[in-house]
Amino acid sequence: MVALSSTSRTLAASLVLLLATGCASPPGQNDNGDPHEALNRKIYNFNDVLDKNFVEPVAKKYAQYAPSTVRTGVTNFFDNAGYLNTIANDLLQGKLVQTGQDSGRFIVNSTVGIGGLFDPATSMGLKQHNEDLGQTFGTWGAHEGAFLMLPLMGPSSYRDVSSPVMDMLLNPLTYLASAVTVPTGILSAINTRANLLDATRIRDQAALDPYSFVREAWRQQREYEIYDGNPPGDGYEEYIEGKGEGAVLKVY
Amino acid sequence: MVSLKILYASLALVLFLVCGVSRAAETTPAQKVVEHLHETLLAAMTDGAKLGFRGRAALLRPVVDASFDFDAIVRIVTGRYWKDANPDQRTRFVEAFKQFSTGSYARNFHELDGQKFTTLGSEPDHDNLVVRSEFGKPGSEPVSFNYLLRENNGNWLILNVVAQGVSDLALKRADYAAVIKAEGFDALIDRIKKKVTEMSTAP
Repeated sequence: MVALSSTSRTLAASLVLLLATGCASPPGQNDNGDPHEALNRKIYNFNDVLDKNFVEPVAKKYAQYAPSTVRTGVTNFFDNAGYLNTIANDLLQGKLVQTGQDSGRFIVNSTVGIGGLFDPATSMGLKQHNEDLGQTFGTWGAHEGAFLMLPLMGPSSYRDVSSPVMDMLLNPLTYLASAVTVPTGILSAINTRANLLDATRIRDQAALDPYSFVREAWRQQREYEIYDGNPPGDGYEEYIEGKGEGAVLKVY
Repeated sequence: MVSLKILYASLALVLFLVCGVSRAAETTPAQKVVEHLHETLLAAMTDGAKLGFRGRAALLRPVVDASFDFDAIVRIVTGRYWKDANPDQRTRFVEAFKQFSTGSYARNFHELDGQKFTTLGSEPDHDNLVVRSEFGKPGSEPVSFNYLLRENNGNWLILNVVAQGVSDLALKRADYAAVIKAEGFDALIDRIKKKVTEMSTAP
C-alpha cells in the first residue's frame, strides 16, 4: 500500500479512467495482452516524471540518512498494520493453516513486537506471507484480464485493481484522524519507494523499453506470488520441441 | 551362522546406503556449470574494487561465453524477428548481447560483503534440468536464482535464469520485441550497446 491518504483519490481516478477508456477499447488489438497500451504508456511516463523528479530523490535521501534499524522498524510497522488483509485473503483462499499462522504472527508482532515495530514472530517460525485480493482471484482461476498502469500506484490489471481497496478497508490506520494518516501515509510511501530502489536500479540499468520491461517483470512477479513461489509452467516449454538429444529449439 | 548372515546383510545394507547416498549427493555436470559461474562471480566481487568494471568484465566474459547457450538465447529473446535479421545484424546482435550479459554481472556483482551462493539441488524439467540456488548474506532473506540448463552435444549450457520468480528470457523477450517493433533490429543493437557503455562508465 502506498500513501494511504492518496490511495482513495488515486483509486477513484483510476476507476474513472477505466470506465472512460478501458471498456471502450476493442479486444485483440495486439498480442501482448495489453489492449490499453497507449494510455498505459502515457500514465507510465507521467508516473516516471513524478518519480524521477520528486519521489525517488526523497527516497534516496531517506535511504541514505535513515539508519537501517529505523527503516526495518518502519517497514515492519506498515507490514503489520496491513496484515489483517493478508489474513482475510488466507481465509478466502482456503489456506486454513496459514490463516492460523498469520493470525498468530499479527498478534505476536502487535503485542510483543510493540505495535508491529519489531518482528519477533519470524524468529518464532511464523514467517511473513504475501497475499492480497488479486492473488485470491488468481487462485480462484481469474486471469489478468488486461494490464493496467495506474496513476501513482503503478502496474495492475483487471484482476488486481480492487486489491488496494480491500487493503485500505482492512488497514486500521485508514480509520485514524487525517492528522495521523497524512504523515504516516507519506512516510509509508517514501519507505516503500526506498525499499524498491534496488529494483528500479536494475530496471534503469537493463531495460531498453522500461514500460515493456516493467509490465513483464510485474506479470512474472504476480504469477510467482499467486502460486506462492511455484508457478506451474515456467514458460520454458514453449521454446523447446522434442526430447533428449533430438530436442530442437523453436525459432519464431 | 545366523548372526554371520545378519552381519553380511547389514554390511551389504551399509554399503548400499553409503553408495546410494554418495551418488545422490554427487554434483551433476549441470550443477558444475552453475557453480563455476558462481565461483567466478565471487572472485570478481572479492577483487571488485581493484579490478574495476573492465577488470571484472574481462574475468567474467570467458566464463559467461562458455556457460550460456547463446545460440538458443539470442533466438528466444528476439523471437519472431530473428529470422528477418540479416547475417551481419545477427553477428552484431550476438556480440552486443554477450557484452551486455557480462556487463550486467560486472556491474551488479562488484563487491563482496558476506554474500554467498548456495546450490540447493537440481531437478528435471521436461528434458532439461533446473538447478536451484540462493544468493545472499547469512541472516538475511536470500534471493533465489534458478537456472534452466539443456544438453547440447554433451555439454550442459544455461538457457535461462529465473531470479526470484522473474524469468530473464521472458523479460528480455518482451523488452526487445517492443523495441524491434517500434524502431527495428538495428535500433535494438544500438540501444544494447548504449546500455553497455552506460554500465561501463557508471560511477
